[in-house]
Amino acid sequence: MMQQTSDKKWFDELVVELRLRQVHGSAIGDTVASARELLRDTGQPAEEAFGPARDYAAALEFPAAPGHDWVRQALWPSLLGLLAFLLFNQAVTAWTQQELLLVSPAQLALLATPVVLVALLPLYLDAVVRRLWVGIAIAAICAVAGVLSAVVAPTQPSDAWLAIDPSPWLIGTALVMVVLSVRNTVRSSRAADDDEIIDPLSGTTAGTGAGARILVHVTNWLFPVLALAMLGLALALR
Amino acid sequence: MSTSTPDVRATDGVDWPSDWLRATLGFLALRALSGGPSYGYAIISELERHGFGAIKGGTLYPLLTRYEAAGLLTTEWRAGDGGPGRKYFALTEQGRAELTRLSADWRRFVASSVHYLDPERPEKEISP
Repeated sequence: MMQQTSDKKWFDELVVELRLRQVHGSAIGDTVASARELLRDTGQPAEEAFGPARDYAAALEFPAAPGHDWVRQALWPSLLGLLAFLLFNQAVTAWTQQELLLVSPAQLALLATPVVLVALLPLYLDAVVRRLWVGIAIAAICAVAGVLSAVVAPTQPSDAWLAIDPSPWLIGTALVMVVLSVRNTVRSSRAADDDEIIDPLSGTTAGTGAGARILVHVTNWLFPVLALAMLGLALALR
Repeated sequence: MSTSTPDVRATDGVDWPSDWLRATLGFLALRALSGGPSYGYAIISELERHGFGAIKGGTLYPLLTRYEAAGLLTTEWRAGDGGPGRKYFALTEQGRAELTRLSADWRRFVASSVHYLDPERPEKEISP
């Protein structure tokens, strides 16, 4: 049981390390299956047979997909979704209270903090994946920036840098979030997704159970759902 | 699988210097495949049986992966008899030619080394 647990941890680490190296899903599936095959034959623990997962992943020297691929396909849309969600949140309160949307430079700077942190993610993604505290620290910075942006939001038009009609921003950002979610849903429902880890023998993909599919859809629609919740909250507190 | 050679030491717990194995494991693995397609554990067993010690999967598989990328090997998953399948490695023509070339080079290198290390050899041959 102990060996199964440590092997599961080792294989999880191996998949993460290969993912970080942008290795194709079918090559990851092949690597995992051949490692399991040898462990079945030798009865060795994975760490003993292959060494640390990180070193083994590096030693395999797989050709990586171009580094900018995931940035173009995943990071930029996520960043746009986040930006739309943050702007929606700013506009929704003003819209429900039929007031102008008041913006100050400090507020904008604080709103930009999570956007910049996500935009710079390629620079420190390895650290986030390998060290839990880095991810927690980034999330905490984003949360604090969000709270502070509400604290420094101007209450009088005379204090504001910009005073704009919130309706176009509310509708525009809502549309952006919905369009991105539809795009992500279409992408994730395509059968031949290069990112899937494919078992070389059965040709099936890992994580294609109902639970995993639901989780993918929830993730795809996360921003619109949260935006709806914010709209409901703003209407309730009006 | 390659045939056994009777003069090779079939020793357990052989601990060759890691540099030696690093230098030779490539063509030893190709040699292990010269008799036909084989899989990871069988290659490791073959090398161990011929006195090279127990090669770890973490050493063998990256080597085989590089050889596959270089076109020296092909791979094929075959379903097992009632159990999970196995990944078989097979030499390509290019791999066979590389094995022949490296084997010849290695034999010449070993002959030179043995000749040079021969304690019966006159000392004056060593001097420039």
